[in-house]
Amino acid sequence: MPALVSHLSASNATPSPLLHAVWRANQMGSCRAAVTATGHRVLDTELPNGGWPGASLIELLLQQAGIGEMQLLRPTLDAVAKKCRIALVQPPHRPQIAAWTAWGLPAERLLWVQAAHGADALWSAEQILRNGSCGALLFWQTHVRGESLRRLHLAAQGTEVLFWMMRPLACAQDASPAPLRLALRPTAGGLHLDIVKRRGPRRDEPLFLPLDALPAASSTSSPAAHAHLDRRTPAAATARNLPPALV
Amino acid sequence: MRTWIGVHLPQLPLETFRPRWSEPGLHVVVNRLHAVAVSAQAATAGVRIGMRRAGVQTLCPAAVLHEHDAAREQEALSEIALALLQYTPEVAFAEEASLLLDLTASLRAFGGRRALCRRVRASIEALGFTPHIGMAPTAQGAWLLARHPNRRRRVVRMESLARRLDALPWLLLPAAQSCQEWLDGIGCITFADLRRLPRAGLQRRSGKGVLDALDRAYGQALELFNWVQAPKTFSARLELPDRIEHAEAILFAARRLLLQMTGWLVAQQLAVTRFTLWLEHERGRCALAPTPVEIALADPAWREEHLVRLLKERLGRIALSAPVIAVRLEAARVSAMLPPTDSLFPDPGGTSADYHRLLELLTARLGDQSVLAPAPRADHRPEVCNGWMPAARVTRPAPAPRLERPFWMLETPLPLTVRDHRPFYGSPLQMVKGPERIECGWWDGRLVVRDYFIAQGNSAALYWIYRQRNNEEIDWFLHGLFA
Repeated sequence: MPALVSHLSASNATPSPLLHAVWRANQMGSCRAAVTATGHRVLDTELPNGGWPGASLIELLLQQAGIGEMQLLRPTLDAVAKKCRIALVQPPHRPQIAAWTAWGLPAERLLWVQAAHGADALWSAEQILRNGSCGALLFWQTHVRGESLRRLHLAAQGTEVLFWMMRPLACAQDASPAPLRLALRPTAGGLHLDIVKRRGPRRDEPLFLPLDALPAASSTSSPAAHAHLDRRTPAAATARNLPPALV
Repeated sequence: MRTWIGVHLPQLPLETFRPRWSEPGLHVVVNRLHAVAVSAQAATAGVRIGMRRAGVQTLCPAAVLHEHDAAREQEALSEIALALLQYTPEVAFAEEASLLLDLTASLRAFGGRRALCRRVRASIEALGFTPHIGMAPTAQGAWLLARHPNRRRRVVRMESLARRLDALPWLLLPAAQSCQEWLDGIGCITFADLRRLPRAGLQRRSGKGVLDALDRAYGQALELFNWVQAPKTFSARLELPDRIEHAEAILFAARRLLLQMTGWLVAQQLAVTRFTLWLEHERGRCALAPTPVEIALADPAWREEHLVRLLKERLGRIALSAPVIAVRLEAARVSAMLPPTDSLFPDPGGTSADYHRLLELLTARLGDQSVLAPAPRADHRPEVCNGWMPAARVTRPAPAPRLERPFWMLETPLPLTVRDHRPFYGSPLQMVKGPERIECGWWDGRLVVRDYFIAQGNSAALYWIYRQRNNEEIDWFLHGLFA
């Protein structure tokens, strides 16, 4: 009899580790590595384990440079900059230090690497990941081959560096080894985020993320509010074009 | 119980001319009469050690003959000794192109006997030589094991050493070679046979040397050595076996010099902060000054891997003006070696030494102007205020002003077209905030008279634009992007 009981309890116990091991496509997945909160509650709920995954490649697909991508990362960078340095590799334009300090971040934590060739930039990114003395790496690249992405992802897995890669929106169609891919589009007062890929259920509708610190958000709610300011000019034009019969 | 390593270099005469990494070929080293060393290719062609010079030329007319150069061999041996000083301060020369290392005190630091043997072998191979390594509790025993051509050469305990030595032929002992004839005559072949002979008789017939060497090998007599002393300053030169036309190919030779420098640094308890690699060029019609490759380190270093990586990246960027025939390495500035760290648990983000190493590596490959850190200046003009400096030189940046600025600044402002009296960039721009007037710079000739606005396009992206009065016209420029 005791043998039977133990057998039963064993058979009852087996499904639970299995349940852990099986991931269903309609559930949010989980990742092993530590995550860092994004600082945006709307986004946290949509990401596995509720934050940016460390030690992996995160792809941000941008419509163009300067649409609020740094604002999106600002709370995370704020947390990282308290302890470690932040490396910007091959940024599209010159980073402005005054903007960085205006966000309350220490300027001495920034490192800007500008390589002449794409291969050099990839090499620098890999070296920064391997070295591990920077807490976060932001890497801009337009044309990357699949094997380079895999290599970077592999290099990121060996460290605790938060690694974002910024690529053009057109790359959303291409395959990528990154476990998390977000497409960013600007919108009034914030950002529209499309979750292209994540370890979790598919999400079709874009996610609206309000960014309070953008200058537009603080002054007016929407650009439509400006329209009436300039309404005088079109009004004069219509008056001149009236058919003479009506006058 | 002591641990000794004996390093024997069987191919030393040949490898001083042709390091082991150089291309295989028919090479023979001859002294006045006979062949002393033979490359593997020449050996297959039938050339043997001890052949006469004329015989070699008849058998293998294509063979390149090198004159035996004892001074150069001794130089090579001291280079190896210098490189091996990184494992122990007790290195001594021994007879017949070999070295003896007392490693008793270094076993734990390098992870045991086997790992240490591997490292010694790797270092010597990187220098371009083929070592035979023997390990034993006595120096003479280690030397004999290294000298014997069989492959099992590592012994830890004294009893097993005695057993192993008993089976070896006594002919290995240089002191006993004078009495080869009569020892052969009485049927004495191994060390065991030699030890069975009466000591008094042996000493009378062969001199004191044989008995002394025997006693030293079996641990029954004291061994005394003149240890190798490291020179006060470091400068090593290496002639290359071939002309080298690509800078990257120099790395092999440079690595050999770096290994020597590592040994020297460890022996002197120093760390290098700046070193120079001089590339000496072939003298063509006019003499060319050697090209210096100077490498400065932010953090004193003595580890070979880091120095090799730095040099590799630097050499990758250099275009040679003429073929290189020799390289010379100089340690320009050294400082005392610091203990690695004083904290018990490592920092999560790596130490500052790690960061400096990263900066050095990036700077070595990309150049000074590509690895930048903020160095803001107190100025109202945004392009002047936003200063960046080579990261290796910035110590502590001045505080930057806290202003509403875009994160991305265009290098040169982009002129905007005007449609319907409004600046146009992809779509008509709406003013969101402004103006902020910046009028500044009359004193250095870069006068700026601008009204800055924050503007928004149809796609809701925010731009930093400015208006500039140019005589009667008003020009609009895009200067930044809010990220």
